Amino acid sequence: MSSLRIAAVAGVLLAGLLGSSHVVFSQGPAAGRQAVWPPRIQGPAPGDLQVLPVRGNVHVIIGAGANITVQSGTDGILLVDTGTAAMSGKVLEAMKTISTRPLRYIVNTTEFEDHVGGNAAIADTGEIIPFREPNYTAGPQGALDITKASVIAYYTMFHRLAGPTGGTPKIPELGWPDNTFSIPQKRLYFNDEPVVVIHRPSNTDGNSIVLFRRSDVVSAGALLDLTGYPRIDTAAGGSIETLVDSLNGLIDVTVPARNAEGGTLVIPAHGRIADHAEVVYYRDMITIIRDRVAAMARKGMTLAQVKAARPTREYDKRYGSTTGTWTTEMFVDAVFRSLGKS
Amino acid sequence: MGAMDSGGAVRGRTGARRISAIAALVLACAVPPAAAQVELSGSWRPLPRNQDGSGMTGDTAGVPVSQEGRWRADSWSPDDFDVAEFVCRPHAWDYSLEGPLSPLRLWPEIDRNTQKIVAYRGHVNMMEQETTIWMDGRPHPPANTLHTWSGFSTGEWDGDTLVVTTTHLKEAYIRRGGLMRSDQSVVRTRWRRMGDYLQATSILYDPVYLAEPYIRTTMMWINDPNMAMAPYPCEEATETAVPRGTVPHFLPGESPLPGLNPKLADGYATPYDARLGGAQTMYPEFVTKMKGMPKPTVPAPPGSVE
Repeated sequence: MSSLRIAAVAGVLLAGLLGSSHVVFSQGPAAGRQAVWPPRIQGPAPGDLQVLPVRGNVHVIIGAGANITVQSGTDGILLVDTGTAAMSGKVLEAMKTISTRPLRYIVNTTEFEDHVGGNAAIADTGEIIPFREPNYTAGPQGALDITKASVIAYYTMFHRLAGPTGGTPKIPELGWPDNTFSIPQKRLYFNDEPVVVIHRPSNTDGNSIVLFRRSDVVSAGALLDLTGYPRIDTAAGGSIETLVDSLNGLIDVTVPARNAEGGTLVIPAHGRIADHAEVVYYRDMITIIRDRVAAMARKGMTLAQVKAARPTREYDKRYGSTTGTWTTEMFVDAVFRSLGKS
Repeated sequence: MGAMDSGGAVRGRTGARRISAIAALVLACAVPPAAAQVELSGSWRPLPRNQDGSGMTGDTAGVPVSQEGRWRADSWSPDDFDVAEFVCRPHAWDYSLEGPLSPLRLWPEIDRNTQKIVAYRGHVNMMEQETTIWMDGRPHPPANTLHTWSGFSTGEWDGDTLVVTTTHLKEAYIRRGGLMRSDQSVVRTRWRRMGDYLQATSILYDPVYLAEPYIRTTMMWINDPNMAMAPYPCEEATETAVPRGTVPHFLPGESPLPGLNPKLADGYATPYDARLGGAQTMYPEFVTKMKGMPKPTVPAPPGSVE
């Protein structure tokens, strides 16, 4: 055999082996597959819902508008927010995958359509436990319609959702809050767990957060949006100052575990399950933007000049938007106006 | 080779033996290790490495920051480390590997029934950061699950190199001077053992604060079975120099950090434009460009350079 043939055989062997040595493989069931790059980590497709366990009694339904918190147990189901009206059917189906117990309570954290749109259709499927006799009409719960879930919200939300007398309500009457409060917090004990609804004016003057004390989970509502800048409705009493204050208040009720992460879990209005550190980062961003706009306003800059200076610039790629119902420009506008400038 | 000249049959047998020998040699050299791959477990003592460029606060040379990353760093204040809520914020796992407090322990988690490695566990000294590198082919979790400092990692062997893909990361810093990576980042880390040495090469992909992937190759350890791993606990601070609720930062254009002052020089007189970083500062040809750039001449005040 010539040296040439020997070299050729060796070359073929080497080429084959080198080729095989570059195959990415693992020891597990995926052995032999090529790694997918970049990794696909996606939320639910538009129109689909995703149910994720959070901790203890609490799940979250993602994809129906604002995130919906579901607390369930032997007492029944308590929802925080109800998503958009169009998604109510799918939300009811998703709820059944978590619990088949009756829906007792809905807590609304804010009045935005993606939080309360499903109120009427979903509340209608529930029932509240009657206070004494079904036809009893006295006392604090006497007026409740026991054939639907009770809707809890800060009282200013009721006024705006129901609208002025003779006017057009924002949502059907069946979904209006019928269990309002006007003090700093409203407390329930439900599913063997303290549930504390804490008034936190921020996006509007009627926002609340909901603390599930045994599960150690907070449903933050629109106060925390990990997909964008927070919506501020100045006409409804929202402001950047109360938003910052309430983010600090949210931080106060989240206790991190080791290394400033984990511990109390936080369900935002949009985006992933979060924790103390995520809230701190969000608070930092909102505070920095507030400080910048305030400094620009003190210099006498007009709204147009403030927008041109892009006080949100390093955050826009992550949180900004130029389309949709809440754009970066609208956010800066609201910050500027709520600081008393116009 | 004399035998090859004595007759055709002898030449044939000799040729076959040579082919076998060469084939065996090629096989020995080129076949990747069997399923056990390379043993990465053990205690690893870090060798010295450079984790902060020139050490000048605000220096970003060599980091492919995007415009957003540059802006973010420009408003960063060192007081950020004294924010009460973040006193226990660690260097995230991928930065801890590069940092000074990177004694490392790796150990396998083995399935009792199959005796296969399900995962590698890792512990790095800096604030007791831990990681799990899943080796059982499981998918990464849905996007809306919790993000952590260490993220969610899966590993696959590429020959004798363990290739780790990490997603679900929290926002964290990549240098202690305000350079951040976002929570959209993905890190690919290649672990390679060479005798008693372990090397990690990490490639950071961040669509927000980086213009191009950032490759770090400075991380190397030596195997040290006697290495002590000190505890590094942290308790949330309640009172710090920064009042609770205050967020330290500098307004745009008003940062006093020495790295952002065009007149001040670091220990190497790095040109100011180079200190601003960006993708171009990663590449060798940038050294030629730097030679034509004006060099700052005013020494930075004491304390501004490590």
